[in-house]
Amino acid sequence: MIQNEGLDRIQKMLREQGYISEPSIVMSIFLAMQLHKPLLIEGPAGVGKTEIAKVMAAALQTDLIRLQCYEGLDATHALYEWNYQQQLLHLKMAEDSGKTLEEKERDIFSEKFLLKRPLLQAITHHQAPVLLIDEIDRADEEFESFLLEVLSDWQISIPEIGTVRATHIPQVIVTSNRVRELSEALRRRCLYLWIEYPDFDKELHIVRSKVPGIDERLAEQLCHFMQEVRKMRLEKIPGIAETLDWAMALSALHIEHLEKELVESTLGIILKDWQDIRQAQDSLSELFEKVGAISKLDNL
Amino acid sequence: MFNSSTTMELIQRQTSLSANIVAFCRFLRQKGYTIGPQEEADALRALEVLAPFESPESLQLSLKATLARTLAQQMLFDEFYTQYWKELEKAVNSKPKEGAPEKKPAGQGQQPPKVQSIKNWLQGGQARETEEMATYSTHEVMGRKDFSTIHEDRLWEVTRLIHRIARSLALRQSRRRKPANRAIQLDLRRTLRLNMRRGGEILDLAYYEPAQRKQQIVLLCDVSKSMDLYSRFLIQFTYAFQNAYRRIETFVFSTSLNRVTSQLRQRDFGAALNELSDAVPGWSGGTKIGESLHEFCQAHASRLLNKRTIVIIMSDGWDTGNPELLSESMRTIKSKAAKVIWLNPLAGSAGYEPNTLGLQAAMPYIDVFAAAHNVESLRDLYRHLK
Repeated sequence: MIQNEGLDRIQKMLREQGYISEPSIVMSIFLAMQLHKPLLIEGPAGVGKTEIAKVMAAALQTDLIRLQCYEGLDATHALYEWNYQQQLLHLKMAEDSGKTLEEKERDIFSEKFLLKRPLLQAITHHQAPVLLIDEIDRADEEFESFLLEVLSDWQISIPEIGTVRATHIPQVIVTSNRVRELSEALRRRCLYLWIEYPDFDKELHIVRSKVPGIDERLAEQLCHFMQEVRKMRLEKIPGIAETLDWAMALSALHIEHLEKELVESTLGIILKDWQDIRQAQDSLSELFEKVGAISKLDNL
Repeated sequence: MFNSSTTMELIQRQTSLSANIVAFCRFLRQKGYTIGPQEEADALRALEVLAPFESPESLQLSLKATLARTLAQQMLFDEFYTQYWKELEKAVNSKPKEGAPEKKPAGQGQQPPKVQSIKNWLQGGQARETEEMATYSTHEVMGRKDFSTIHEDRLWEVTRLIHRIARSLALRQSRRRKPANRAIQLDLRRTLRLNMRRGGEILDLAYYEPAQRKQQIVLLCDVSKSMDLYSRFLIQFTYAFQNAYRRIETFVFSTSLNRVTSQLRQRDFGAALNELSDAVPGWSGGTKIGESLHEFCQAHASRLLNKRTIVIIMSDGWDTGNPELLSESMRTIKSKAAKVIWLNPLAGSAGYEPNTLGLQAAMPYIDVFAAAHNVESLRDLYRHLK
């Protein structure tokens, strides 16, 4: 549908890596790479946001450097830290060496004692890596501003050593689950991509390609079932990973179609909250009617 | 729908594609998109790298990727896109001379009345108030000597109190650390630095302790019809709260839930109102607390709530929704949050009993149930929370 060499290449790249995509995803990845801009990906949990970075790294044949964000993440965990224990040890050993204070200081504040954290790793990597900043919304706003600075200057200053400039600018992917609204400044620095839960066709496509041995009819029923489950009021809506886990489990059991008892006993694979499970159990007949009706029609 | 192949025709008929893109950016800006020179440049560069252009779909996708930078903007983009080219088509066909396609979008004229209606509502038209009062029992009438009739000069007192409440709520321990004088945990980094000047002999030790951290607050505010009397206060309250304290998420609900954090984060109260009126469709409607809270649990709770989050619900508990769902949602919220505070404007009136069906369902999961109908009650609340 999209006719452009660059786009086709990305599409092919994604396909080769087993990532089932859609035009908007292809376009965003293409533009992020062409315009050298970070790509901000938002969407519910389990729709394959992180996966994009992995696929991209594989396709570009480069390394993936990942910074997992969490509450309280600060510069020492994102940038660098000195290896204090080794520094102390080194000082102790150099006690009788007759070195001057300046020499000692130069010794222990050298690259040898520097622990590189993801951001520093990314900008000093031997080739441009893919830098995945995962779940940025979990870190606080202070960290976001700090990150913004790194993303715009591509240099990090370490007081003891000096300024470290990026040897290669990494390709940056930022993901967010929308815990909190990200700052306007960060948004404006990035291209934006929203990924929704897959529709039936896309999910079926994914199941077929990731679980090759699966029975055709089972795959369809399973995907219909997942589509219906996602419409329920659940604590934790299952993502694609859950669908695949389930598909693999059932496929391994050589199941050919969904049965009520079977579903009941394997619900734990797709639902991870006991209230959700109970709710699904209660409305299982209803769910089955919907799924069953659809698959019957398909068989006609 | 709109035939996209004509888009390309149009582009050829107009002077150049990039001129159109610039005009389109202007069109989006009118629609509230934040598009600066950077975004414009991105869009133009996207066209460059995509050239030669063959499909209208990729034009649309590339503009979407470069110009729409929030979920809301993405959702509306396709519609605006179609609208723009349609209007351009009309413009070009009607006078096929020259001229930038600067058409006024059709929806523009509707905005002022909408703002007006919310303002009227906030000022609480007297006629409507009495009409409202008749609907409910005498208990509620007693709650009238309160924020619904608050004087301007006491407003600053409310604001100040809210600032204090916000601050007292806010201080908790953080995962980050700060230097300490007591021996709590050894800070190697500072120890090393401290002793370096003595040639590396460790004589002094440095310590750190957890820093105080600001607490996350989630404000859930009932804006259904039964709460109309308190409307002015509620908006003031949430607005003041939000401005006193940045780490806060605000939602309003009647029959469904709306996130209004960003709308309230405006310097100017008027501007905040404008944004609010655009963002919240079902203002002053019925109440479905259960459904709304459930929506909150589903979409936001697992991420927004943690053991450092205080949830403040402001509602009278009048509910036409499902009480089971309410109690279920309250349980979820309670299990995930540090504290659940229910502020009820009716609770201040004499003889009030929290016996609405909704409140009874929610009661077991509430840590603090308090009145919030006048300045004194707020002062009580402050003492409560200290």
